[in-house]
Amino acid sequence: MLGTHPLASSISIPIVPGIGGAEVTALFPLVTFVLILAFGRYLPFKGAFPGIVATGLGFLVALATVVEIAGGAGPRHETLHTLVAGVSGEGVTLTFGVLIDPLSALMLTIVGLISLLVHLFSLGYMNAEGEIDLPRYYAALSLFTFSMMAFVLSDNLLMSFVFFELVGLCSYLLIGFWYREPGPASAAKKAFLVTRFGDYFFLIGVVAVLGTFGTAQFASYAPGVEASFVEIATDALEHGETGEMRTFLGLGERAWITAIGLLVLGGAVGKSAQFPLHTWLPDAMEGPTPVSALIHAATMVAAGVFLIARMYGFYALSPTALAVIALVGGFTAFFAATMALVKQELKQVLAYSTISQYGYMMLALGGGGYVAAVFHLTTHAIFKALLFLGAGAVIIAMHHEENMWEMGGLKDEMRTTYLTFLAGSLALAGIFPFAGFWSKDEVLFETLVHALGGGAPVLFVAYALGLLAVILTAFYTFRMVLLTFHGDPRTDTAEDPHSITLSMKVPLVVLGVLSVVAGVLNMGVFKGFLPENALFLERWLDGATMGEQFRESSLTAEHYHHVLTHDFGAGYSSGYAGLGEGNLALVGGVVALVLALIPAAVAWRLYGGAEPDPHMMNLGRIRTVLMNNYYQDEYQVWLARGFTLPIATLANKFDQGIIDGLVDGSGGVSLFAGGRFRQIQTGVATTYAALLVLGLLILIAVFAVTGGWI
Amino acid sequence: MAVEPGWYLLLSAAVFCIGLFGVLVRRNALVFLMSIELMINAANINLVAFALVYGNITGQTFVLFLIALAAAEVAVGIGIILALNRNFESIDVTDAVTMRW
Repeated sequence: MLGTHPLASSISIPIVPGIGGAEVTALFPLVTFVLILAFGRYLPFKGAFPGIVATGLGFLVALATVVEIAGGAGPRHETLHTLVAGVSGEGVTLTFGVLIDPLSALMLTIVGLISLLVHLFSLGYMNAEGEIDLPRYYAALSLFTFSMMAFVLSDNLLMSFVFFELVGLCSYLLIGFWYREPGPASAAKKAFLVTRFGDYFFLIGVVAVLGTFGTAQFASYAPGVEASFVEIATDALEHGETGEMRTFLGLGERAWITAIGLLVLGGAVGKSAQFPLHTWLPDAMEGPTPVSALIHAATMVAAGVFLIARMYGFYALSPTALAVIALVGGFTAFFAATMALVKQELKQVLAYSTISQYGYMMLALGGGGYVAAVFHLTTHAIFKALLFLGAGAVIIAMHHEENMWEMGGLKDEMRTTYLTFLAGSLALAGIFPFAGFWSKDEVLFETLVHALGGGAPVLFVAYALGLLAVILTAFYTFRMVLLTFHGDPRTDTAEDPHSITLSMKVPLVVLGVLSVVAGVLNMGVFKGFLPENALFLERWLDGATMGEQFRESSLTAEHYHHVLTHDFGAGYSSGYAGLGEGNLALVGGVVALVLALIPAAVAWRLYGGAEPDPHMMNLGRIRTVLMNNYYQDEYQVWLARGFTLPIATLANKFDQGIIDGLVDGSGGVSLFAGGRFRQIQTGVATTYAALLVLGLLILIAVFAVTGGWI
Repeated sequence: MAVEPGWYLLLSAAVFCIGLFGVLVRRNALVFLMSIELMINAANINLVAFALVYGNITGQTFVLFLIALAAAEVAVGIGIILALNRNFESIDVTDAVTMRW
């Protein structure tokens, strides 16, 4: 069976390879990376130009892939390289391959688009500002894009892990771009270490998957791939076919699947900055702002959510894992939003909003809303990239001043930035009809429906937290916009801001327009009043445009729903509180909109004047706690110092003392003995002669005794 | 009148011990060499004595070889002693205690 649908060849666009060559999207930036690394200084714009070309081409290929899938092609699943071949069914086969289905094609497009715009924006943010070491910046940016794209294209968990790590490395390189200053250098290390802590669990999860199922494939379309690990797990629970699955530690199949799910979730919690591993993300703001846009919108942070979405069929089997995801997500959404309330730096507010929004995606995944999560991932990528790039424009205009209290009144001087930033903010706050409104409501709706269905009571808690976060989000978003752009200028710099270049405006406008219209993808709030096929994203993820090979397979939203709602899976069911699906969706949407508009109005009242007061000061001790991020960093440092360090010291002592001691000891004994024996080697021939005689005498004595002479 | 074989052995042991004593206590390399010769000749006495006792020629043949060997050994030994003398201005065996200097 071929990896591609027969239709694929008939509608492929010449010149641009589509689904058949989608891996070139990742290869373009890889080539650019090598190119910039070698010749960066001689390239036009210090490497920005090749970066733009590569990501632009990548974006085109991704688009062509989307078009082909929409035309009925795909899925494509192909093993490109076998790293370790199992011998005749024994042992595991480790491969590199590509899997292109609606989810990865969508994500590829997002990554390509955001990366392209970030490259463009960097022309104005980095080149025009006369930064040094630009080839290093663009090389890392290219490598980042490559890693994320390859991660998205991965067809198995091990390959995902490899590129997941590479993404982490690239974020380290970019956050620490200004490594000569202590802040960025330390932030980079923190991001690296904290995410690595989560990745450690992910690594164990990968090994567990390989050990349990003998394969780490996500899908089974490729020739030679009999079943994906998700399918084996599903069969084990659905039909009791436990033959191919090996459990450990005496756990049953379901418990073991939950355990593996939670292990892999560790990686996602670290990368997607979920509580309690979110602490690296606000510090990551030390990196250049375009990098923040890339990290938070499309690459690093998105990787965690994408990973869970990629193997959602697996999580759908475990109600426990889903409950954990929902609770972590809901709590993170709320928790991060509270901290965003009091921050004074523009980028800090955005950082906490990022954490909060990824919390929503996790909430959606845990609440059984696969489509909602992917939808929010998409819209969030657009409006968060927009907000960060807008913040970048403001920071340039303000000569690298980030404190919002030093700004004010920028809306007249920076029309384009203001309007686009406002569009992004409205999307973030979830105001109708901006993109975020649709996706956030979808998240809340799916969670509510499954909570009402009585699947897991914990969903109610998660839903309530999500709803509270809506209120906080709207408030801090408007506070941010009002402080930055409205009122009177509070400093001289704000009075006369630096102008921004065209290369910065173009990405803002593109994303601004998308932030307004992206909701069209899936207008779930109106699902009761729209024709069935108007929910484009849902149809897309169902593979409605594709052939039976995909529609009947285990990677569709339909299949996930099937698993979620059956007892062998999560056992979720849908409840509509007597309103019917369409009405409940509408009510949910209206409630969320009202919940967003009220705090928006409050924020307007508090900060809308010409000379806003720092009202958050009235919170007193609460503000202190929030400003200190609930002392999360402190307790983590305390954990590291008070707990990990002693253990590490002990382990080090054991290693140095006992393990090395044994090795050193044997050497020492030899050395000592040698030192002593060396002394009989006097070099005086007489001594040797004496020793010979002595030896002879001893020999004679021995013979005498054993030979019975005496 | 035939001498008892025990006497030969006693002579041989005495000569050997004299040689051994010389090797162990003297520092002059030439005396060293001579003492070694004594020890070889003690062995030769033994060989000849047993050849006589058992009435076959083998022991005597061995002795011929050993004499040749001793001559060769002396040639080498004298060479070494000459080298010693050249390097240390003396032929004291306790002077040459290192392999290189």
